[in-house]
Amino acid sequence: MEPSDKVIANPVVVLREEFDDWAVLYNPDTAHAVGVNPTAVTVWKLLDGRRSVADVVRAAVGSYASVPEGAEADVESVLTRLVDEGFAGVEGAG
Amino acid sequence: MRAPRSVDIAITARCNARCLYCYHFDTPGMAYDDLPTAEWLTFFEELGRLGVMDVILAGGEPFLRPDFEELLAGVVAARMRFSVLSNGALLTDEMAAYIAATGRCNGVQISVDGPAAAVHDAARGAGSFEGAVRALGILRRHGVPRQVRVTVHHFNVDHLEATAELLLDELGLPSFGTNAAGYLGSCKVHADGLQLTVEERERAMRSLVAIEQRYPGRVTATAGPLADARMWARMSAAREAGAPAFGNGGRLTACGCPWTKLAVLADGSVTPCTLLPHLVLGHVNRDDLGELWRSHPVLQAHRARSQTPLDAFEFCAGCEYVPYCTGNCPGPAYTLTGEVDHPSPDSCLRDFLAVGGSLVDGSRA
Repeated sequence: MEPSDKVIANPVVVLREEFDDWAVLYNPDTAHAVGVNPTAVTVWKLLDGRRSVADVVRAAVGSYASVPEGAEADVESVLTRLVDEGFAGVEGAG
Repeated sequence: MRAPRSVDIAITARCNARCLYCYHFDTPGMAYDDLPTAEWLTFFEELGRLGVMDVILAGGEPFLRPDFEELLAGVVAARMRFSVLSNGALLTDEMAAYIAATGRCNGVQISVDGPAAAVHDAARGAGSFEGAVRALGILRRHGVPRQVRVTVHHFNVDHLEATAELLLDELGLPSFGTNAAGYLGSCKVHADGLQLTVEERERAMRSLVAIEQRYPGRVTATAGPLADARMWARMSAAREAGAPAFGNGGRLTACGCPWTKLAVLADGSVTPCTLLPHLVLGHVNRDDLGELWRSHPVLQAHRARSQTPLDAFEFCAGCEYVPYCTGNCPGPAYTLTGEVDHPSPDSCLRDFLAVGGSLVDGSRA
């Protein structure tokens, strides 16, 4: 993914939020589900198809008062995994 | 969890069959009116908003509903998957094609109780075997995942091996599930000639353990003779070895449903389970399902059941198996004792041994 790519959540995917801020992303078309931590939930909610990868990284990191070193790379890693597993897509990508 | 993961739905109270052991009919508290289409569709929207992942559509006989395709479309639109529990008689090619096209079906479960009509129809009614086998063929042609449940009872206990051969060898199913006619619903009326005697139960366990060894991993059970054979073998071995209590032993922990699922009866009544229809928590489209799930005192009490120690019950007094026992399913516990929060006598190892039952060698640990 390029920093300028726009990432959009797969509209069929369900976010099941739980009490402890963790959640499950569930694709009913494939029955594939994955548990996600609160950071990934934050990232997921930013995937509106208008924000670029760089925008999402900036917004996700900016939503926390303090972040550890390497947080940007972690957010990019989350985005890559969401796309690779079909929970999100890259706008315009074939 | 903020919402149930799955919801069991009696999508209709009507049925084309009258199986002798049906849990649905002859049950006090059970609803026998059907919600209209629009009410179900509104409810499915709520389930979708809550993030419910799948629904199990049962009844009654789901394929009796003339609006079944419309209901499935509602399930799909709400971003859920579904399973259907059926006797198969009313399944058509068109319906199977529709189900396949949704891409959301976890499976259609057809009840098959024997290797031939003479056995299967004994408890399920004339013509039902033919309908069930025909339905399995239709589902296969359309690539719909097929599931089968064999309910073990007096009329088929000596035909289990032939039933397994039919299902696994001839019909090519990957596996099948087993259960037993339990003291619920219509079975209470016919219990004497239908439920397994101690000797029959032992034969069923022996037969199913042998079938499991012949077809490894292809016979499943969460209740009934095979489940009992497995669990009782573990409990017996643990007691003989003086092993520490099982992690979930010594308390009423058998039922995990209150943490994962709810049930809805045909009239829209919400209950913890279809086997406990008298515990009505609320009603669809009138009560907030998420709120019922999180806060209803009956459901909270049902969850707290798992903290109830078995040695608090007179029924369990002096039992050496208590540290390894989970108290079993609250459904038959209620119908047999009148109390939900009670161990079920139906799956009591000590009782089974006391009336002459013996354990089966080779039960999978």
